[in-house]
Amino acid sequence: MFATSEKYREFGREGATDWLKRIALSNEFGLFALIVVAVLVFSSLASGFLSNFNLYLLGRIIAVNTMIGFSMMVVLVTGGLNLAVGAIGVCVAMTCGWLIEDIGLPWYIAIALAIVVGAGLGAINGLLVVWSGLHSFIITLATMSIFFGGMIFLTRAESFREMPGVFTDFSRLKFFGSVSAMLIPTCIVAVLLGILYRLTRTGKEMLAAGAQPAAAEQSGLRVKKLFVLCHVLSGAVAGCAGLMLLARNGAAIPAMAGNLGQDWLLIAFLGPVLGGAVLLGGYVSVLGAFLGATLVSVLSNGLLLIQVGEFWVQACLGLMLLLAVVLDKVRRLFVEN
Amino acid sequence: MFKYVTTAALSAVLATAAMADGSKVGLVPGGPHPFFADWEPGGLAAQKDFGLEAGDFKVPQKWELNLQNDLLLSMVVQGYDAFVVHPGDPVGSAPTLNEIVGTGSPVVIASACLKDPSDVAFCIATEARDSAYRGTKKLIESMGDGPKKIVHFAGWLVEPNTQLRIEGVERAVAEHDSVEIFQVIADIDAPEPAEEKISAYMAAYGSETDGIITTGWVPTVVAANALRKDGSKRIKMVGIDHDPVVVQAIKDGYVVGSMLQNPYGQSYIAAFAADRLRSGCSVKDDAPFTAHPLTARFIDSGAPYLHAGNVEDRAAVDEAMTKELLSTFEETYLDC
Repeated sequence: MFATSEKYREFGREGATDWLKRIALSNEFGLFALIVVAVLVFSSLASGFLSNFNLYLLGRIIAVNTMIGFSMMVVLVTGGLNLAVGAIGVCVAMTCGWLIEDIGLPWYIAIALAIVVGAGLGAINGLLVVWSGLHSFIITLATMSIFFGGMIFLTRAESFREMPGVFTDFSRLKFFGSVSAMLIPTCIVAVLLGILYRLTRTGKEMLAAGAQPAAAEQSGLRVKKLFVLCHVLSGAVAGCAGLMLLARNGAAIPAMAGNLGQDWLLIAFLGPVLGGAVLLGGYVSVLGAFLGATLVSVLSNGLLLIQVGEFWVQACLGLMLLLAVVLDKVRRLFVEN
Repeated sequence: MFKYVTTAALSAVLATAAMADGSKVGLVPGGPHPFFADWEPGGLAAQKDFGLEAGDFKVPQKWELNLQNDLLLSMVVQGYDAFVVHPGDPVGSAPTLNEIVGTGSPVVIASACLKDPSDVAFCIATEARDSAYRGTKKLIESMGDGPKKIVHFAGWLVEPNTQLRIEGVERAVAEHDSVEIFQVIADIDAPEPAEEKISAYMAAYGSETDGIITTGWVPTVVAANALRKDGSKRIKMVGIDHDPVVVQAIKDGYVVGSMLQNPYGQSYIAAFAADRLRSGCSVKDDAPFTAHPLTARFIDSGAPYLHAGNVEDRAAVDEAMTKELLSTFEETYLDC
């Protein structure tokens, strides 16, 4: 009896140890630890880092960056990528601005239709990828220019500036003095994506198709359809990010994501890749992408506050991210040993 | 002896207190651009002359609205309590600047304007449309009689003043039946696109062109160099701003003239005004603001015409303009 109890106790200890080890080894834990370290460092170097105002600003930046990261993550599932996320995001914002300012639609209908346009542009990407058999890098590199160029041609690079106050009111809304309301749409999309990949058949099929397309095809999955769906989702989520920027700026501006929407690319990749997404497809982590985008946002905000010099922020960001990846590797080796 | 030491110590303490009471002014342009090179000395001179705690010039790393917004808000967190801003977008900058004003930090817009409504104090700048109009009139005058074709090389389309300048050029040309705008080439206020597009234009249509009006810093420099290279002095040109290349081209006769904007004076006076507003002054209800297409709170900092006759005295022209505006600024626009 004693022996049996001891055995069970031993088994329990091993289970708990394994569980803790698994958590410590997880990408999400590493990112969380790095975020904590970054917050501690910046709060000791910059007095205003933990002020209500800065936490509110940080929340807003995290909200947009995470949404941009999600728009890339849902395509990384397929082992592909979407270089046109920025162009689609701006197209959606401009469409929303046009529907409100020129067509006169109510803002909520304009938002819904604009997101449909984003999904449509994503569908074009997906259809071209599966139809041509070319890598999505080539296809989305081309459509990035086509979408952005088409938008500039149609709008003559003019901004839509007569947006209803509800956009800017929302972007300025905060709870408890420091939590930005912009986090709400991001959290909603995060939960929906989590449900998609964890609980729905379609989501699981997307992951399976991305991991082993040939095997998935042979087992009866409609891989091409699933890939198109991933691009549709990417377009819609990129559109949400574009609308969040519209809310922040109070206007739909062609240059809001830089030339061709390229300014989104770094942040679009960093969040999900730091979060543990497998670039060959088949595995993504919604929580990881959120934490990855949070780490990047904390680093860029903190560097600005400690006045590293605006021109050095990008370089420091890259360096610190490299350091973060190395530290993560060291942490894994340490835990494994 | 003790009395003198005490008095000296007290004076030092009061001086330090006065210095500490000065505003921490941040001067932030829309992005990196040679036009703003004079903002930094303008801010530093204002810091020295008006006892500001700081008159720091901070540039977003790229000409991108989000970067400017992030930089401005990070400066609020760093303790800057008054701002001089060149808005990255005439409307898109408003929510962020309103947010800053909401924290109790006054914002003065300089060198371009923000579209009403907004919470910023006012805008001090050159009236871009009028400046482009007057520059084009000077160009038309220099080309003489007969049918003429001119080309307009303009700055960034996202820059608040560009559309106004295009309108100003069009208005001046519309007043002369014999003059037509052959082409408007915009969005080229950086070396690479300016070199590429202006060179291509000159190669293709230079022989058919009689005049060049430029309303962006970089296109002005590139076009002035192109005319120097051409060497014939057949094509007349009126540019903008005071890059040394342009000033020299005016001296050598390759460029007819240039419309100045005085960025030093704009930043200097704007920093002074931001400090006064932070210290408790307010903008007069009946301040004599002039009309501007974007805002009802516009102060014209002037746009003198630089030409062969006054090119040697450019610095003096800017200085005189700044002194004149500053001498009556407080009593004209502020309630203190």
